[in-house]
Amino acid sequence: MKISGSYTVPIPRDEAYKLLQDPVILAKCMPGTDHLEKIGEDEYEMKMKMAIASFSGLFTGKVKIADAHPPDNFMLLVEGSGKVGFLKGSGLLNLTPQEGATEVKYEGDVQVGGTIAAVGQRLLESTSKMIIKKFFEKFAEAATQPTT
Amino acid sequence: MATTTITKTEKLVGKAMRRQEDPRLITGSATYVDDIQMPGMLHACILRSPHGAANIKSVDIAAALAHPGVAAVYVGKDTEKVGPVPCGASLPGLRVPHHYVLAIDRVYFIGHPVAVVVATDKYIARDAVDLIEVEYETLQAVTDPEKAIGPGAPPVHPEWPDNVAFNYHQEGGDVDTAFAQAEVVVKQRITSQRLIPSSMETRGVVADYNTGDKALTIWSSTQIPHLMRTLVAQMLGAPEHKVRVVTPEVGGGFGSKLNVYAEEALMGFVAMKLGQPVKWIESRRENCMCTIHGRGHVDYFEVAAKKDGTILGIKLKLIQDLGAYHQLLTPAIPTLSVLMMPGLYRCQNVRADIVGAFTNAVPTDAYRGAGRPEATHGIERMVDILAAELKMDPAEIRLKNFIHNDEFPYATGTGLSYDSGNYAAPLHKAMDLIDYHNLREEQRQARSQGRLMGIGLSTYGEICAFGPSPATPAGGWESATVKIEPSGMVTVMTGSSPHGQGEETTFAQITADELGVGIDDVIVLHGDTAIVQYGIGTFGSRGTAVGGTAVYFALQELKKKIKKYGAMLLESEEVSFSDGVCVDHKTGKSVTLAEIAGASHRAMKLPPGTQPGMVETYFWEPPNFAFPFGAHAVVTEVNRETGDIEIKRYVAVDDCGNIINPLIVAGQVHGGVVQGLGQALWEQAVYDDNGQLITGEFMDYAIPRASMIPWIETEHTVTPSPVNPLGVKGVGEAGTIGCSPAVVNSVVDALSTLGVRHIDMPMTPEKIWNLMEGARA
Amino acid sequence: MISQQFEYSAPATLQEALDLLANEGAKPLAGGMSLIPMMKLRLAAPEQLIDIGRLRELNYIRREGEQMHIGAGTTHWDVESSPIVRAHCPLLSETVSNIGDIQVRNRGTIGGSAAHADPSADYPAAFCALEAQFKLVKKGGERVVGASDFFVDMLTTALESGEIIAEVIVPVEQRGTGVSYQKCVQPASGFAIVGVAVRVSSEFVRIGVTGLGAKAYRATNAEEIYTSTHDAAKAAAVVADGADSNSDIHASASYRKHLARIYTQRALKEAASRMG
Repeated sequence: MKISGSYTVPIPRDEAYKLLQDPVILAKCMPGTDHLEKIGEDEYEMKMKMAIASFSGLFTGKVKIADAHPPDNFMLLVEGSGKVGFLKGSGLLNLTPQEGATEVKYEGDVQVGGTIAAVGQRLLESTSKMIIKKFFEKFAEAATQPTT
Repeated sequence: MATTTITKTEKLVGKAMRRQEDPRLITGSATYVDDIQMPGMLHACILRSPHGAANIKSVDIAAALAHPGVAAVYVGKDTEKVGPVPCGASLPGLRVPHHYVLAIDRVYFIGHPVAVVVATDKYIARDAVDLIEVEYETLQAVTDPEKAIGPGAPPVHPEWPDNVAFNYHQEGGDVDTAFAQAEVVVKQRITSQRLIPSSMETRGVVADYNTGDKALTIWSSTQIPHLMRTLVAQMLGAPEHKVRVVTPEVGGGFGSKLNVYAEEALMGFVAMKLGQPVKWIESRRENCMCTIHGRGHVDYFEVAAKKDGTILGIKLKLIQDLGAYHQLLTPAIPTLSVLMMPGLYRCQNVRADIVGAFTNAVPTDAYRGAGRPEATHGIERMVDILAAELKMDPAEIRLKNFIHNDEFPYATGTGLSYDSGNYAAPLHKAMDLIDYHNLREEQRQARSQGRLMGIGLSTYGEICAFGPSPATPAGGWESATVKIEPSGMVTVMTGSSPHGQGEETTFAQITADELGVGIDDVIVLHGDTAIVQYGIGTFGSRGTAVGGTAVYFALQELKKKIKKYGAMLLESEEVSFSDGVCVDHKTGKSVTLAEIAGASHRAMKLPPGTQPGMVETYFWEPPNFAFPFGAHAVVTEVNRETGDIEIKRYVAVDDCGNIINPLIVAGQVHGGVVQGLGQALWEQAVYDDNGQLITGEFMDYAIPRASMIPWIETEHTVTPSPVNPLGVKGVGEAGTIGCSPAVVNSVVDALSTLGVRHIDMPMTPEKIWNLMEGARA
Repeated sequence: MISQQFEYSAPATLQEALDLLANEGAKPLAGGMSLIPMMKLRLAAPEQLIDIGRLRELNYIRREGEQMHIGAGTTHWDVESSPIVRAHCPLLSETVSNIGDIQVRNRGTIGGSAAHADPSADYPAAFCALEAQFKLVKKGGERVVGASDFFVDMLTTALESGEIIAEVIVPVEQRGTGVSYQKCVQPASGFAIVGVAVRVSSEFVRIGVTGLGAKAYRATNAEEIYTSTHDAAKAAAVVADGADSNSDIHASASYRKHLARIYTQRALKEAASRMG
């Protein structure tokens, strides 16, 4: 499944680029995740508890940052698997500066398998969009909060 | 005590009768596999691959084994010696992958069984499945058969990187000359999508091993109990006589239970290991993923013709999506399409090339029609395309090319001998019923108003009554035993294993007429290898034509014995037997069947050279298939705004030879048409590029519902089959075979003014809308 | 198709139910038409189910002045067959008769459908067109939320943890109002590929759309055009503007948008013809 879209975050590009690769920030923004465990260069392991209304699932997964071209773009690779299925996503994030803000364009491919793929077909695209939207909303929030 | 004392003259064959089996089915008193309860019974749940293709790096069953209530967990290496899951079809050069009952180091399709958990209840078994940890290394999958045999495709089986399981060539007549002489050649790529058979009852198995007797009993929802017994015994290395297969009620099969699956041997293995009975009931999710699918064709047709519409030659390149393995008949199914490819037409020049393609998907196999719907869909689409090309009427071009009535038996270019036929009769009848000529006028008017009205015809033939033994993998005969009990009550045991076809009724009708007893005096038993003599099973529209004929012949043998006892009791040389009574016409004295049955069992006195008792068994080998035919006519209207298709009229005229029970025949045609409509309009099993089955439930896989079905008008012509004395042909698959081309022809006809020539199934509204948008652009 | 283990309680009173629902991990069960299948597929695994489907307190249909009050536990069939609803809120009668099949309508409830907020459910289109109000209750609290605030996103509503819908409030339809619900049915699930609910009178028009986007919505832009032009085609032309359309194997985004326009036009025309 191909997905693409864009969000504008209210911080300058250099800062957005840095924060989008910050494991502490990523952990805050990924749904159902509170901690990323570093397992390699730009590679982290995590547990995600996904919950959308009645739907819930526990996933273990990895996040990896690749092909980094600061401050323009990088690839974000996410994978997770649990008893109800697995997902693999790769997305190219392109950052364009705007007045005091940054437009983040993403373009990627999501692969879903297992029960969620077999029975959740009609909701998959909307779910992906919703998760990405939530990610950026949380990101905008986290990015503008003073670090503690 | 004799109960049949009155003379019975009313004939039941030909009479519309309600089914004897219905009271138990509709009151919930029937026993299905899942109704079987046994003391100490364990329950199995299977862990299945979530990937279309992957290497298994490791399987950790420790946590599942430790789960309270779990009796055992088995993985691939434990069951390595079981099996393989059998392929009963053979073709020259066929590549047969070793089909383990549980995957060992690689999974080949989504749902591939990886491990089995056995526990004290099904809930614990299911919970424990989630405790098994499997580490997979995912591999690239391929699910499109054309891509699979194309360059650069990932190999489904690494040992055969081209993904070709077999190439099959068949040719008749002189195709090259036919095409060289052609005045017109039409070509079309036509697909028949993958379908999920969706029987109402999923599969299920109970296995029980008696450790004292070393005897295994398997209850399975199957169409072929005896073949299963032979094959499962082989898979388990168990002596066949100590394996019993019981088929309780079967809630539909449509071909999907004409198979031996991994789970049947697997449950046998578990029961033998643990010495306790075990039950496995397939979930609907598993049924969608792991029970065979039907169809899966990509066909490239070419038809050569003269300008007057005479068909000269047919070429077909057929790519069959086999899935990852061969189930029982997987590679044989497309060869049936080839046999049937000339349809009802006098064309001897035929050439077919099949490529069997491995894909990372569940195997395809027999599904209602099995090869013949694909062939009929192809040739009936091509004839319409040819008619459009030549601006001929689709009825006229068919009538022009039909095999003539005086040419039967007719040897086809594909090696069949059509037993009998009168192909114009059902077409004329269908055209009359639907008022074809006035409809064309109505269509002209509709078109002038901008409405998209279509009229579609299909004329179809089918290979039924499978079949002569040389043409089938495991014997094509059928068996019957008829016993008259001391009271005169009649027990019929049939080797065919009906599962919804109503043969407990039709066989009782035949028996009641032959013996002159009432229908309630007859019981038909089937589906237990410990009770019924060896038989082949119910599939390929063979139940009545082959199984019923075996009953008929057993009855003839029995009647000879009845007459011997009758003559003895009447102290006569010459007696006749009819309407349940033996009569000495010289004296006018008579003796009833019940009295004869009683006398044969008490055996105070025996006719010379005759054994006591009243039982006869007959194994009937048919000399040929039977070839039913018919015509369907469909009126549709396409909504210009949305692409929705409305079926305004549906007429089905079938010729299945003599009809034993018109009510059952109508039901078979209705059900068949509904499944044909399912394929034409709604159903499709969709795998994504990674091998995920994304129509894995009825939320996305659209099986037809009653509310979606138009009124189906059925009629018949009767051309008795000369192949069997009942003159019957088979009707289980007719509706499905005739339906899809008639519907597609109708919709293509509706859209023909927009330049549309062909539409692949299913004809979803969006597909139609896109065609209309394309025409507007 | 076997769910994980869970606790089940069937409280006798609403108060008792709300007390139980205050526990973390508790999930209300009404008709179970969406939750139970998800549980059987193990896509949902609530620790505790509180069965509110049996509460008589939540099962009623009442007219009070110019409003209809429908208890959240009222089944689709009870709404469909209610003469009071037919007389005073025909849009609900018509919409509910389009839900799933008779088995679903016998079990499913109005509150359950609203709370699940399936993007393809039928009811929400009518709720938007009716500007329905939802009375939400939780242990120690009660509030009323309008449809436009209630539906937040796909499967997401304004309901807080421990909170359930107690009642749906819709206006009594005035004489001279015509209504219609037009639906394109997904053949497998029976859900709406798109569904459009319309109320129209000489004074106002309301258009609710389901199935197109992540949540049902009121197409105010189309309403404005209809108000000024009374042209169904012109109004329908903008109904999908700006919508982030769903897409699946049953209908692509562009076809869904097209269907939304067609069905809006049909619903507007039919509703107008019923203004009487």
